[in-house]
Amino acid sequence: MIRPLWNTIRGRLLAYLLPPLVLLLAAGVYLDYKTGAAPVRDAHDRALASAAFAIATHAQSGVPPAELARIASAIDALLHPGAGARAYYVVRAGGRYLAGEPDLPVGPVSAANPRFFDARFRGAAVRVVTYSLTAPQPLTVSVAETTAERDRATVRLLVSEVVTDIVQLVVTVVLVWIGVALALRPMLRLGDQIATRSPRGLSPLDAQAAPGEVRLLVTELNRLFATLGEAARAQQHFLANAAHQMRTPLAGLLIQLDLLIAEAADGRQRRELSALRQSAQNLAHTADQLLTLARADPAVHLADEFTELDCGKLLEDVVAQNLDRALQQGIDLGAQIELVRVACVPWLIREVLMNLLDNALRYVPAGGHVTVRCGAAGGRAYLEVEDDGPGIPPDQRQAVRQRFYRVPNTPGSGCGLGLAIADEVARLHGAQLEIGDCDGFGTRVRLRFPQPGEPRPRVIA
Amino acid sequence: MRILIVEDDEVIATTMCRGLTLHGYVVDHAASAEAAATVLLSERFDLAIIDLGLPQEDGTSLVRRIRRSNRTLPVVVVTARDSIADRVDTLDLGADDYLVKPVALAELLARCRAHIRRARALASSKVQIGSLGIDLEGRRVTVAGEALDLTRREWSVLEYLAVNAGRIVGKERLLDAISSAPQEVSVNSVEAVVSRLRAKLGEAAKIRTIRGLGYRLDDEP
Repeated sequence: MIRPLWNTIRGRLLAYLLPPLVLLLAAGVYLDYKTGAAPVRDAHDRALASAAFAIATHAQSGVPPAELARIASAIDALLHPGAGARAYYVVRAGGRYLAGEPDLPVGPVSAANPRFFDARFRGAAVRVVTYSLTAPQPLTVSVAETTAERDRATVRLLVSEVVTDIVQLVVTVVLVWIGVALALRPMLRLGDQIATRSPRGLSPLDAQAAPGEVRLLVTELNRLFATLGEAARAQQHFLANAAHQMRTPLAGLLIQLDLLIAEAADGRQRRELSALRQSAQNLAHTADQLLTLARADPAVHLADEFTELDCGKLLEDVVAQNLDRALQQGIDLGAQIELVRVACVPWLIREVLMNLLDNALRYVPAGGHVTVRCGAAGGRAYLEVEDDGPGIPPDQRQAVRQRFYRVPNTPGSGCGLGLAIADEVARLHGAQLEIGDCDGFGTRVRLRFPQPGEPRPRVIA
Repeated sequence: MRILIVEDDEVIATTMCRGLTLHGYVVDHAASAEAAATVLLSERFDLAIIDLGLPQEDGTSLVRRIRRSNRTLPVVVVTARDSIADRVDTLDLGADDYLVKPVALAELLARCRAHIRRARALASSKVQIGSLGIDLEGRRVTVAGEALDLTRREWSVLEYLAVNAGRIVGKERLLDAISSAPQEVSVNSVEAVVSRLRAKLGEAAKIRTIRGLGYRLDDEP
């Protein structure tokens, strides 16, 4: 089942962890930028100041302006080995222009020496340093450089910081994701354990294997399972007891009616008594079915009762038991037996077969055929009862598995438990109950057992 | 023929008694295992019908007691206990049949008839089904007193079917019955023998074909 991410513990953990992590990393990037950019600026400023100092020294020693220009361009080449950046300079002696660019801004007067400031020159942003000497003659040297170079350096720095930090962020998120997944694994296992067990499975979960945080939940679940199991057992017990208690009086009632029918003087009386007997018989049948249903419940531990069953023997026995009834109704009852054995709870399978046969004999009209069959198809053993009666309409084949459901407008007096029992027993054996027809006619109900190697369902706790 | 009913439920006991009496049996009733044991010591019965859930001593213990002292008395257990374990245990103790309540009177009568016939056949080596009489020892078959001429194979098949009257008998078993070397005889020859038998027996006995399983000689004509 796919749940929306925000509604999972993993999603929530990530939601709580990720935004602070991202904020922290953003702050880190900002701080890194701040602390990384200042040294870069200072280094550039220092180089610029050295240039100003060198030009000033040369100007002081009386180097002619043409020579100063050569020196300045040499310094420029030294400062800016790459293309794109430009340096300018101006030298004034005692306020008089001596050399360089006469219109280069000199900047405001201040006590700082050298003095740095940002300005614009010839349409480009420049960083300017002004260096003043007072002796032996007052001399001011301003050197400016375009900021492209230092901007590039800063961006490079910023990019490398951000990339590193993003990589860190991604690695952290992945680690958190994996960590959360690993931490949640015992819980997911627990969830699987609960999800894959049968809705009726009530065996306790392993509380020791659960992480501490959910152990309380598991313990409480186990307590609930135990209570439910207890209730189921009580219901079983009640049902079994009730059905059992009904048996003896019903047996008395039926046999008395049998006797009355045998002793009945006239046909009318016999017919009425027979109808009465039929009702009592139906009641007894329902009681029997309820008893079977109660005993087939997985809450009753059946695991010990699994044994190998010779299906052929069972079929023979079931046919023998129903033969007189079939003969009386004018139905041809037969068998088709292949040698096959299955691991099962024999009395339950026998009960299913009796029920299926009872259904067939109930609804197949005189002259009809009923065949019980066992064999193997595709490596799986099967038992089936086939008849050429009225059949079950395809849209009813699911509904007839429900307890007490009867196909609308069905004649006869079934209690609607036979196929429900068959379905229950099939599930208990990991088998499938297939309700179909034979090429569009009649009914074929097949119980298909799992492959011999297949594990039995965990219903039997 | 005399039947002992051991049953503590008053209604069932009296009704069974009346039903069996109606069909010509002489019936005695005991309400407890102890009473049954006492009457079994002094009287001779052809069959006992025993309920398992008796007061004080249980029905199973009565079955055990009967088997210890009387090996041939047919015992039919009629009980509300329907578990396989109960059934198997009781049959292992030596009960001949196990019926779960509620039992139809007709079925009870049929079972009683079959068991009494089998016991008598064992004791006297004679089987009587309606007008069909079979002398197992003398290897003679009569229909309404008239002797019937059968071949060796026909006799073997009828003998087997008669001893197991009312039960389904597989063709392979009949094959074993008609030949000491069954692999040399085909199932077809069993079918041929049965069809000749049917012709000879006519209305006196009904040998039914049970599709896929074999044959059954009806134990009621």
